[in-house]
Amino acid sequence: MEKIIQHLQGAFDVKAVKKQRNDLYFVTVGKDQAIPAVTYLRDAEGFSHLVMITVADWMEKGVFELNYIVHNYQLHADISICTNIDREEATMHSAHHLWEQAWTYQRELKEMYGIEFPGSPRVDESFNLEGWDNIPPMRREFDTLKYANETFFPRPGRVSHDPATYMKQKLYPNE
Amino acid sequence: MSMKIKDIITPFSAWSNIVKKPVTVKDPFTERPGADRYRGFHKNDVEACIGCGSCEAVCENQAIDLVPVEGIDTKKGDSGLRPLVDYGRCCWCALCVDICTTGSLTMSNEYTWVSDDPDDFRFIPGVDKKPWDNNEKGWTNPGYSLYNPERVNMEEIEPDERITNFIEIVKGYSKEQAEKEADRCVSCGICVASCPAHMDIPGYIKAIRDGNLEKGLQLLYDTNPLPEICGRVCTHRCEEVCSVGVKGDALAIRWLKRYIADNVPFEDYKRILGLDSLPEAKKHIAIIGAGPSGISAAYYLRTMGYRVTIFEAKEHPGGATMYGIPKYRLPMEMLEQEIGLLEEMGVQFRFNMMIGREVKFDELYAAYDAVFMGIGFEKPYLIAIEGEEGPGSMQAIDFLREVNEGKKPEIGNHVAVIGGGNVAMDAARVSRRLGAKVTVLYRRRIVDMPSDPEEIEGCEQEGIHIEPQTIPTRIVKDEKGKVTGIEYLKAEMVDDPKGRRPKPVPIEGSETILEVSTVIGAIGQEAYYDFLSAEWLEKLKLERGRVVTNENMQTSIERLFAGGDSVNSTADAISAIADGHRAAKGIDVLLSENE
Repeated sequence: MEKIIQHLQGAFDVKAVKKQRNDLYFVTVGKDQAIPAVTYLRDAEGFSHLVMITVADWMEKGVFELNYIVHNYQLHADISICTNIDREEATMHSAHHLWEQAWTYQRELKEMYGIEFPGSPRVDESFNLEGWDNIPPMRREFDTLKYANETFFPRPGRVSHDPATYMKQKLYPNE
Repeated sequence: MSMKIKDIITPFSAWSNIVKKPVTVKDPFTERPGADRYRGFHKNDVEACIGCGSCEAVCENQAIDLVPVEGIDTKKGDSGLRPLVDYGRCCWCALCVDICTTGSLTMSNEYTWVSDDPDDFRFIPGVDKKPWDNNEKGWTNPGYSLYNPERVNMEEIEPDERITNFIEIVKGYSKEQAEKEADRCVSCGICVASCPAHMDIPGYIKAIRDGNLEKGLQLLYDTNPLPEICGRVCTHRCEEVCSVGVKGDALAIRWLKRYIADNVPFEDYKRILGLDSLPEAKKHIAIIGAGPSGISAAYYLRTMGYRVTIFEAKEHPGGATMYGIPKYRLPMEMLEQEIGLLEEMGVQFRFNMMIGREVKFDELYAAYDAVFMGIGFEKPYLIAIEGEEGPGSMQAIDFLREVNEGKKPEIGNHVAVIGGGNVAMDAARVSRRLGAKVTVLYRRRIVDMPSDPEEIEGCEQEGIHIEPQTIPTRIVKDEKGKVTGIEYLKAEMVDDPKGRRPKPVPIEGSETILEVSTVIGAIGQEAYYDFLSAEWLEKLKLERGRVVTNENMQTSIERLFAGGDSVNSTADAISAIADGHRAAKGIDVLLSENE
């Protein structure tokens, strides 16, 4: 694995390497180098399987961190190519030409985070959320609680208690 | 369109699968365990849970309600409520587990459970018994916290430097430190019940987080007109029950209160607290004693529109806080500032006015619409051993008062302090600052000491030796009557058959003489009631030296109310303040009824 990482560092502008385990590395590159790096791992290093494409919303830093996790069946090892993209103008190069299942991941990321993948087939179709009319729900500015309150009616007879108020009633009601 | 040979054969080739092991699962015959850290149905250790409601507050789906549970009582530090989960809303995200302040709430890895009744999917984990309650797999907090478990360190003057002076030890939080500390609060409010004054602690901590100190000050004064004092010397019972303190450090509630009080300019207090235009004075109330309870009663009575006159036997206000608390814990300016506010509100102070000497209690009771009595515990218990009278032997409260008045009592080079409470610790630490070597003699073990742990720690840092399990028997003097030592017996701790705390029993023949130049007694105090005539004393109901009152702080004499150390057994500033507030409301109720 270390050699593969060295090859990556030789071929790409690697910004960070994190070794999670002997068989799992996270390698961060720039936005324009992520797809080439994944292509290189697939074609030259035997990482033929796309495990998943996922994203973390780093709202405070103003970025989405995309992770392309690929697997090598011979080595039984994974590498995740990570890259940060601007959160407000969230557009990423598509990986659909490398693996067909990338279509589906990209469709999901479009729906859940609003990330655009120009050229990715069927990327604008609903994935899970048919008829969704709000901002993408996995973006952290989405107020889940507010949405839940507005969308789902409370169960009849539901009662909750504020600890401080309840303790006053029980322990010092007259003060 | 021609038919291909493959299309004809395929349906038959499917028959070959009939002998293969199916890939489907035969429910319920095949077990389908969740992964080891799967987030399945909740478990709750209801004994460890304190009902703080952080799980409910963090839930993005409002899936959790806090409900009373039969058999779990509401008490200090435990709301008695427990979380009820609605699995129609739960998204299994486990934020509730991750924020749980006690670590009681976890998730099993059980996810297959079938019931025809939808209401079965609302239950109280740990209370409503479920098959997965003893399931060890599942999700527990993996070790991180959604809030910082560590308290922001309070800077203090180093022990070597502090024993040379009376400068305040604790430096106070900066804005950045206070906001960082406030950010650790989960706003559960469990602490409110434990505060004798029931201050809105989550409210004023939120005000710090929001950077709104004016709001914070208003919340402080709603229940406590002496926040500068309590922000320094409060016994902070709130911190003992802080939910964040179960797994980590309790919030520094006292220091946060001090931060608000110290950082709002004093000249703005009247405007912020709305004291510029108080209601027209109606009736007139006399207050005996300008300690925390009297000041508190005066403040609230004045805001309700009463005229208030405080009679104080000493030269300065503040009572035990002024005369008893050393200046390294509570600088004098703080008191003066708070008293100044009362004067600006129109409260009249009459110093050097001792009831029974300058003015008779009868006259006071006749001339005023009601009287509040906050006389404190001024009279020390004597150790009652040979040699206690005469120079070289003194009582801690007299000693502390003299030092606070700017005098420098002659104590020599080695002082023995008898006692284990906060007054004993104060006397020891003050003696240290006057340059003496100090030994504290205490009857029981160090763990039994009634003093705040931080005071004991302060003593140890300052090089004060505590000698536990010692019973003084005699103060040794030379032929000129000068104290040269204290004789004591070592004691062994004997378990009490009735289950009370172990008793110290002297060990015969263990007499030891410690060479000292001064002995300071600090084994407790009681109240002076000498100012009341026998006739009044007969009417005033006392119990073990304390005045008995109802919940409005009204005594057995109708228009006489009382509070503070001479009434409550906790004998601290915050309880006195709470008493004063209750009495003010009680007086208002009584006088309104009589109108």
